[in-house]
Amino acid sequence: MVGALNRAMEESSEPQLDAKSKGSLKLIDFEWKLGMAVSSDSCRSLKYPYVAVMLKVADHSGQVKNKSFEMTIPQFQNFYRQFKEIAAIIETV
Amino acid sequence: MAAELEGSKCLSGLLSGLAQDTFYGHPGITEELLRSQLYPEVSLEEFRPFLAKMKGILKSIASADMDFNQLEAFLTALTKKQGGITSEQAAVISKFWKSHKTKIRESLMNQSCWDRGLRSLSWRVDGKSQSRHSAQIHTPVAIMELEIGKSGQESEFLCLEFDEVKVNQVLKKLSEVEESISTLMQPA
Repeated sequence: MVGALNRAMEESSEPQLDAKSKGSLKLIDFEWKLGMAVSSDSCRSLKYPYVAVMLKVADHSGQVKNKSFEMTIPQFQNFYRQFKEIAAIIETV
Repeated sequence: MAAELEGSKCLSGLLSGLAQDTFYGHPGITEELLRSQLYPEVSLEEFRPFLAKMKGILKSIASADMDFNQLEAFLTALTKKQGGITSEQAAVISKFWKSHKTKIRESLMNQSCWDRGLRSLSWRVDGKSQSRHSAQIHTPVAIMELEIGKSGQESEFLCLEFDEVKVNQVLKKLSEVEESISTLMQPA
């Protein structure tokens, strides 16, 4: 997990972040759910909380898609911490 | 029952093999492999029910996510049961669970997560300067790349752009999530 401050003052080469994805998406909405997995066929006593996220994103053509994924609590806390870092930096840029 | 099966020497190895197969999903841990590696003197006919018994015990312990008190009670009861286990074997099983509990539990949690997970996250913040073509004022933007996927499948990479307003909107939602987590984790 790497964050970097980059002042793009001049034309730079294709940013590394774009290399694997097909162009950037705009976030329309961020929906979340805190779930608790109680039991399953392989484990009667699961008892683990998780955060389920549904992102509504739009590409350049305006087409809206839903992207969902899950995070464990430690993963969520890392995600939250990274966002706070971004917020702190974007304020100063 | 063969004397080797009553002993506990190779039981630890057997439990490791069972964990590899049952929880960690490693292929190729057959009953013949376990027998030939750990109990070569025992016939397959005698080995099979013994293996099934140990597998059942391990699965029961993992399924109930037993704490150490529950584990002791469970194993003690088994030592008193006809066709159960010896106290030496109970000690080996107890030691095994104590050292593998966390890893096995993690495997079980992963197995029951059917949506994609967040595999990695990277980001940067760009500051857009003025350009001669537009009267664009200084608008910083955060670019975030999320890698989402599940095991055995190729990841999808999402590249998201956020302006400062959007970052703060999402941050507010994330603090709501954190609040919910705190409420959930509060002792009853």
